[in-house]
Amino acid sequence: MRSPIRTRAARVLVALGLVLTAVLPVARLATASNHLILKTGTDQDLQVLNPFSSILVVDFEIFTLNYDLLLNFGQDLEPAPGFADSWSASDDGLTWTFHIRDGMKWSDGTPATSADALYTYQLVIDATAKSDASEDGYYLGAGYLEGYLTNAGIKSVSAPDASTLVVETEFANTLLLNAYVPILPRHIWESHTLDEIGSAEGSTPFLNEPPVVGTGPYQATEWQPGDHITFTRNPNYWGKQGAADQVVVQTFQAMDTAVQALKSGEIDYVRGIQPDQFTALQGDPNIQVVEGISNGFSEIAFNTYNRGPIEGGGASTTALQDPKFRDALAWAIDQQKLVDVTLGGFGEPGTTIVPPFHTRWHSPPDNPRSFDIAEANRRLDAAGYPRDASGNRLDKEGKVITLRVTWPDSEAEHATDAQFIKEWWSELGVGVDAFVTEEGKLLDDLLPPEGGGLANFDIELWGWVGDPDPTSLLNVLRGEEIGSFSDSFYDNPRYDELFLLQRAESDEATRFAQIKEMQNLTYDEAPYIILYYDAELHAYRTDRFGGWTNQPSDGGTPLFGYGSIGYTHLTDLSAVPAPTQEPGATAGPSAAPGGPDGGSTGSDSTPLILGIAALVVVIAGGLLVMRRRSATAASEEE
Amino acid sequence: MTATPGPVAGATRGRRSSGAGDFVRRFSRRREGMVGLAILTFFAILAAIPEVLVGPLQTAVTSIGPRLSPPIDGFPLGTDELGRDIVNLTVHGARISMTIGLLATVVTVAIGVLVGIVSGFVGGRIDAVLMRITDFFLVIPTFVLALILTPIIRDVVGSATTEVFGIRMTLIVIVVVIGITSWSSTARIIRSQTLSIKERAFVDRARVVGAGPGYIMRVHILPNVINLIVANAVLVFAGAVLTETTLSFVGLGDPFQPSWGQLLEAARSVGAPGLGAWWYFVPPGLGIILVVFAFTLFGSALDDLLNPRRGGRR
Amino acid sequence: MGGSFVARRLGQAAITIVAIILINFVLFRLMPGSPERVILRGTPNVTPERIEALRERWGLNDPVFPDQLVAYITSTLTGDLGYSFIARGQTVVDVLAQRIWPTILLFGLGEMVAIALGLALGAYSGWRRGGPIDYLGNSVSLILYSTPYFLLGMGFLLVFASSIKWLPTFGMLTAGRVYGSPFEFLADLGAHLVLPLATVSLGLVGQYAIVMRSSIIETLSEDYVNTARAMGLSEGRILRHHALPNALLPTVTLIAINLGYVIAGAITVEVVFNWPGLGTLTVQALTARDYPVLQGVFLLLSVAVVLANLVADLVYGVLDPRVRT
Repeated sequence: MRSPIRTRAARVLVALGLVLTAVLPVARLATASNHLILKTGTDQDLQVLNPFSSILVVDFEIFTLNYDLLLNFGQDLEPAPGFADSWSASDDGLTWTFHIRDGMKWSDGTPATSADALYTYQLVIDATAKSDASEDGYYLGAGYLEGYLTNAGIKSVSAPDASTLVVETEFANTLLLNAYVPILPRHIWESHTLDEIGSAEGSTPFLNEPPVVGTGPYQATEWQPGDHITFTRNPNYWGKQGAADQVVVQTFQAMDTAVQALKSGEIDYVRGIQPDQFTALQGDPNIQVVEGISNGFSEIAFNTYNRGPIEGGGASTTALQDPKFRDALAWAIDQQKLVDVTLGGFGEPGTTIVPPFHTRWHSPPDNPRSFDIAEANRRLDAAGYPRDASGNRLDKEGKVITLRVTWPDSEAEHATDAQFIKEWWSELGVGVDAFVTEEGKLLDDLLPPEGGGLANFDIELWGWVGDPDPTSLLNVLRGEEIGSFSDSFYDNPRYDELFLLQRAESDEATRFAQIKEMQNLTYDEAPYIILYYDAELHAYRTDRFGGWTNQPSDGGTPLFGYGSIGYTHLTDLSAVPAPTQEPGATAGPSAAPGGPDGGSTGSDSTPLILGIAALVVVIAGGLLVMRRRSATAASEEE
Repeated sequence: MTATPGPVAGATRGRRSSGAGDFVRRFSRRREGMVGLAILTFFAILAAIPEVLVGPLQTAVTSIGPRLSPPIDGFPLGTDELGRDIVNLTVHGARISMTIGLLATVVTVAIGVLVGIVSGFVGGRIDAVLMRITDFFLVIPTFVLALILTPIIRDVVGSATTEVFGIRMTLIVIVVVIGITSWSSTARIIRSQTLSIKERAFVDRARVVGAGPGYIMRVHILPNVINLIVANAVLVFAGAVLTETTLSFVGLGDPFQPSWGQLLEAARSVGAPGLGAWWYFVPPGLGIILVVFAFTLFGSALDDLLNPRRGGRR
Repeated sequence: MGGSFVARRLGQAAITIVAIILINFVLFRLMPGSPERVILRGTPNVTPERIEALRERWGLNDPVFPDQLVAYITSTLTGDLGYSFIARGQTVVDVLAQRIWPTILLFGLGEMVAIALGLALGAYSGWRRGGPIDYLGNSVSLILYSTPYFLLGMGFLLVFASSIKWLPTFGMLTAGRVYGSPFEFLADLGAHLVLPLATVSLGLVGQYAIVMRSSIIETLSEDYVNTARAMGLSEGRILRHHALPNALLPTVTLIAINLGYVIAGAITVEVVFNWPGLGTLTVQALTARDYPVLQGVFLLLSVAVVLANLVADLVYGVLDPRVRT
């Protein structure tokens, strides 16, 4: 599940470094010079090279450069040849046979065979079995990858010959074709124990440091943690080679500097830019901006925990367990306003938990709500939440309702959402106590007793990111996930039943009907209010590389999508292969910054600088005059 | 080690005040001090009545301006990314920054004076222990300690929206942290002054008539170091404003109560310098520079007057 | 220099460092949530059993005092600062080691420039007290002293990122650039250094000039200077041979003490210019609440400041025998 990446949490979550080469010129002098280097920038910091420890989008991007999945994602996210070049299912849909590409080699020249795929899948199966068997609850690394195989109901895996991998599943499904599990080189990894691989905080963790050996188009060859990571072309790559000889992923602490670097030509691609920067870049002739639609959402999650009171924790009112109450609150949220202000207009108002990104699965709600404070008040009255003398809403126990609204400090923009929500709900007589919580503490607060916590919150604002298949997004509202991924403790047997049905459903129309019902159910009962689907704002230079192709073609982005396909499309546009070094080399006028309605904002700050200089001179001059006098005064006094 | 860490001025000796009128006359001859005072008065007025001057603090909800606009009609200093008027934000920022500075100064000076007087008056082992602790805080990088302490204390006290003196709990934590980490130079100064006062005849007389140490410290010592406390407090204030600004800038501020430092942080995270959006960070930036500058001028002038070793030197 | 003086100062420095370790120990236990939860952050499906296993491994089940304390002090003194929460599996020492050099480079150079400029300006101002240079220099020094470092940095960014695009505005080296010769490398490094270095130097120069100025003024009014004047020595000679050396002593001590304050500026300047040093690391760790790294930074910087003070004291002791009491 790539989804349970806490999205923007991840964006801000920054990582730390590992190897000391920072100021050593030697490290970089070694390689030949006229290589074509693609440089990408992100504000996420790569933390790990061991795929099992992946959490951030950039972690996933990097392991799909290093490795192939059993099946990669195609241009429109369809299953495409990866480590296997063809595949088929048995008639009952329970047995999948994958043909591993003949003659394929790892980047170090070792033959890549079904034994490697078997090793990798078995590793995940072993970890899951260990988890099931032991009371200790074992997880492989960060715990995000096992779900891809367990949700596909994987039972066993075997390799009858070097080019065949056979996977048996418990139920017929197609999720296996979307499994985000990289195939690892057995000859490198098998000398490490499951604990070394899966336990990052262990005493001898396997970190998979460069040079990495993989079958992907580029392998990590150099890493300066906290700064950048360099990938070098895989000479043995089986697929179409991209134009870049090397790929550098640079981490930026501030998007401002990343955008400057893009404008000056120091980097070619940047992910995660701010709305105002996006607008400003639109005027630059050498830069293309991309507004990708998001495969994820930001939500209001209610603490609906209803398995009895929690000593010392739990929600402040039982009203949150009432779907009618939550529904009424949802009528008092102007999602378009939030999109306009919080996202600067870059995104869509949210509806269901399956974003429109999933064109095949998204279904607009049958009973949509609108922004209507009067309607919200009517519904609260009807649901039995009267107002007291001073206009405050009372819950069924007669207690004044004041809701604690919080969000992680890594998602600063929710502070804006919270201000609006507080304003809107005050018109319902519902009090809001809005505050930010440190992310680690919030993760703790969100744990229910089943997960060893106290579920000590009312409402949290956060977000999720999805996979090409909606299963992982649907998963977070399952009753079974209470104590794990669930942060609303929504517990609806019908929903859970539908989840299992859709997972095992091969007929698209039937599966759509099931997923549609799930979307309607959760929209109406509102354990989450999906605030918005925030856009992915990327930008790239068009003067050095060509062939930028969005994945998916409709609404996607060229890089930082699903796998390495975007890198392999790139072509060389530069007549002179040497990379541009001059920061001022940008041709054409620099973009005029300004908001959608702000117009030109006059980027020329020279008058201002002159003004400040003048001010300094005036102050200094004034002091000079006064000093002379005061010196006189002082000497008089003495 | 004898030097004190106050980069500009650190008084080591004080003297009893002369008459108030005399003091005012002598201070008014200190032109830098007067300039400092004038600037401070200006910002004090901003901080005292922001609502009167620019209306209530604009929020994302109440803002009406265009997004990140340069100065235009109705918005003489432009707007931020939420369409809020920078004039409004800067004036309200003055209140928040200066209130935090003031509260932090009170905490800092209170701790410093307490430690200084007790240490100087009681002497002996207590003095030795207190001074070891003082030296410790003088020498360690207290800002880094503040960086660690702030989130920890914040999470220990909880993040509820209780307000103290109109300041949210998150910022009160910053006040306390500044207090905890920056009292040591005050303690040093007050202690040395206490040592000299302790030897004066009137203290001996009080002791002879049977006054307890608490009484002597309160009634005889404290009034005699008050000048020094005032002079020192002014300089502490400048430092507190700078520390608060820096803490906010690295992300420990509170977006619901934007101080100048918080505004600068917001400007940076929006990318204002790169977008050429000078109007976003120059007003709060100038506010900080002017306030710290003014306090330093004012404080140095006070220090000159109240400190016999420096009097007339400059 | 008396051996006991040296021994006593060494002892004090050692006590200070142990006290810092103690603070770290206490802070680690004050942390929100619990240490093991913070370690496991971001990991889903954490069962009580796994938490228990972690507590065992980190020794959190032993009594806090003395077992945990002793273990903590011992491991810290042997260079084991624990593991960074977010650089999974990496030790704090490794994380610090790779970030220290850029900071030493930037702030070493910045201090040097600021000391050279600040002392020269301060000495000249103090010597020519009341002259135009003094007035101008002193006012500018005061304004610079009042300016947060990062604000200076943002000003530079504004100028050099949006108006004059002469210099790189971020990072230490051009991302991914391959160098043909060490000279190219140095040129690239130098270009990236200009703006952060200017920011650091300007941020520091004000206070050094102010201190040096008042120090010179103080020295010039000492009796021996008057005696020298009476003996007919030239002003230049008095300045070079009598006033300067004596005025330098307190100034140097102050610079050492001020290291602790400089660090606050260091952190923000690095952030503004994306400089990959300890300051940037500190803010990264702060954002992610990576407390072991934060504590490592605190310990490292404290030890650096304590040692700088120790050296300054000892040097002071050599130069000025009166302090050896």
